[in-house]
Amino acid sequence: MKTASDLKIGEKAIIKDIDNSHFSSHRILEIGFTPGQEIQLVSSPLFNDPIALMIRGSIIAIRKSDARCIII
Amino acid sequence: MSSQTLNKIPLISLVGPPNSGKTTLFNYLSGKKFKTVNYPGSTVEYSISKILSKHAVNADILDSPGIISLIPSSPDEQLSVNTLYSHPKFGKPDIVAVTVDVSQLSRHLYLVKQLLESNFKVVVVLTMTDVLYKKGFDISENKLSSILNCKVVRVNGKTGKGIDSLLTVLKESLNEIEKDSAASLIKADKHHKTKLLESYSEIEKIEKEVLFETDQKSTNGKIDIQKINESIVVLNSAPKFLKADETSLKIDKFILHKFWGLIIFFLIMALTFTSIFWLAAPLMDLVNDGFSFLSENAFTLLGEGLIADLIANGLISGLGSVLVFLPQILILFLILGLLEDSGYLARGAMLIDKPLSKIGLNGKSFVPLLSGFACAIPAMMATRTITNKRERFLTIFIIPLMSCSARLPVYALLIAFLIPQETPWIGGLLLAAIYVFSITSSIIIAAIVNKFSNRLVKEKDNTSFILELPAYRMPKPMRVIQETIKNGKQYVVKAGPVILFLSLLIWILTTFPNYDPVVPVSPDVSPEQTEILKSNERMSTSYAAYLGKFIEPVMAPLGLDWRVGVSLIATFAAREVFVSSMALIFKITEEGDDMQNSILNSMREAKIGDSDQKLFTTATTAGLIVFFVFALQCLSTVAIAKKETGSWRIPVLQVVVFTALAYVFAFVTVNGLRAFGVN
Repeated sequence: MKTASDLKIGEKAIIKDIDNSHFSSHRILEIGFTPGQEIQLVSSPLFNDPIALMIRGSIIAIRKSDARCIII
Repeated sequence: MSSQTLNKIPLISLVGPPNSGKTTLFNYLSGKKFKTVNYPGSTVEYSISKILSKHAVNADILDSPGIISLIPSSPDEQLSVNTLYSHPKFGKPDIVAVTVDVSQLSRHLYLVKQLLESNFKVVVVLTMTDVLYKKGFDISENKLSSILNCKVVRVNGKTGKGIDSLLTVLKESLNEIEKDSAASLIKADKHHKTKLLESYSEIEKIEKEVLFETDQKSTNGKIDIQKINESIVVLNSAPKFLKADETSLKIDKFILHKFWGLIIFFLIMALTFTSIFWLAAPLMDLVNDGFSFLSENAFTLLGEGLIADLIANGLISGLGSVLVFLPQILILFLILGLLEDSGYLARGAMLIDKPLSKIGLNGKSFVPLLSGFACAIPAMMATRTITNKRERFLTIFIIPLMSCSARLPVYALLIAFLIPQETPWIGGLLLAAIYVFSITSSIIIAAIVNKFSNRLVKEKDNTSFILELPAYRMPKPMRVIQETIKNGKQYVVKAGPVILFLSLLIWILTTFPNYDPVVPVSPDVSPEQTEILKSNERMSTSYAAYLGKFIEPVMAPLGLDWRVGVSLIATFAAREVFVSSMALIFKITEEGDDMQNSILNSMREAKIGDSDQKLFTTATTAGLIVFFVFALQCLSTVAIAKKETGSWRIPVLQVVVFTALAYVFAFVTVNGLRAFGVN
């Protein structure tokens, strides 16, 4: 199963689902990571964590452990 | 609503997601006369103000921390949501004005939908329309208004255009309330996932209806066919047609670069701290000189005597010790404000999240820790943005180790004693070394405490870091300066009276009960020498001396005597009292010399008891510096730590642990240096 944490820099994907069992899933949905939306990994600085994802015209920094509940 | 009838003036609550232009709007409506506890990084407390009288709307307006939804996930959001449903003092708001950044329309409409579903009387304020325009789109507020069935106004934060129509709308809405009875509020509950997705798909439909393309993209000469094609395709396949700010993406290629990102981060941090030293130092000297001048003139004007002594040594030097650290606070908050306004602060937090998570902290600890270099009080309040309780408490725990501005005058005095006067640059290096030492120690202490953090506070293992990176923009100097002045003012108002009171207390303790002691008079003793004898006698028979002698056994292992002991006791209430209490205890009113130099001279001459052993040596002074690095000497910090953590556990632990560390490390420093032959 591929998640947003597996994206490479510049790579785009469409969100398939959000994993409900993750404690951050609610916040992630609220800020606009909903199924069907396109995301793109725009930067991945030192340590490759947290990563910066583009969603709905905004850039969100998110830890890989949180991004793991975004299924693509 | 009973709360409403109690409150005659209507209340308008201002809410909105972070970075949606909420505070700018608040400033427009309220002018500058509002009560608030703000700090760069976000609004941490609510601010309340009457709407400016020139706007002719009779209502209070309330600003609170930004929220993404009505389901809070951190203490600052909790505060906002609570004030929204029922403010303890003002009750439920009559109107909720919600700011919506139209360049992020869908994400920001989510809150609007929640507010409408909860039966709030909503007025939508559209901001950042210029950003949307740059992206090639515009919005129809009439359509949005009819779909949402609430009033919608467009306001330009830069020019203030639209404020008038907002005020008209607010007035209309207030009149309507008086007519129709307010519907009762429905608490938003944790939305079921399907409900949330429904909301978003409705929002996406709305977005398609209200946003339309402008043709201004082609005004730059050639028509970009590809771009038009792109946007057509995008429009058809909907909901993803808003792209992030292109310039920001380009800048982030450097700022968030694996290698350059780190270099830039360290450069910015280094610049921040060096500018604190280099910019603040001359200003602090100026304050110092100014107050020394005042103090001297007080004596010339009033002559020698009790009143002159009270004014010169008690009041003026007390005030001086309040104001001497103001430059540093102002400069740090100014820089923080600039970094915040430009959009860098969120990136800094992102870059440092990984290393901080290793010692049990969070990227969101970054701003609070940085503010801690100005003052622990706003810093602790700033931790409210941290979601995880354990990370938040650990951040609060180590904030007192950040070298706050109150320590700077102390270090400045002690360093001036240590280094030869001809080489002031060594002082700068030494000061930098102290900062590096205190940062390193706090990292180690955080790492150790993190091992026991489960015992410190029980919390689910739900640590996360999700933070919006706002688009870069030029900082608005006026806004940053306003915020900085506000911070400085609040700091003086809050800390000032405490410090002034303590300075006066020390003056009383060192002056009485033996104000006019009898000293042997003989013809070969000059009047000046008699004065010195008198002043020594007054001091050694004062209340302070009695107090000091109690703690002398504790001070002795550090190579210090009761006089420093008295100063140290005073500093447990507020560190900045150290310099003025040293000045009082080592009684200095030499003509034509500034306060620091005269303290330094008396320090060089001070002996322990009746012996020939010097009180201040390199070893004991270094020991004192180390003591100040660790000790939590600030009553206000203890009080705010209690308030923010909700119990005495953390503050008591802080006082015990940091005092013990301070004492042990000072002891090791003094005796270690002596063992190596440094006296």
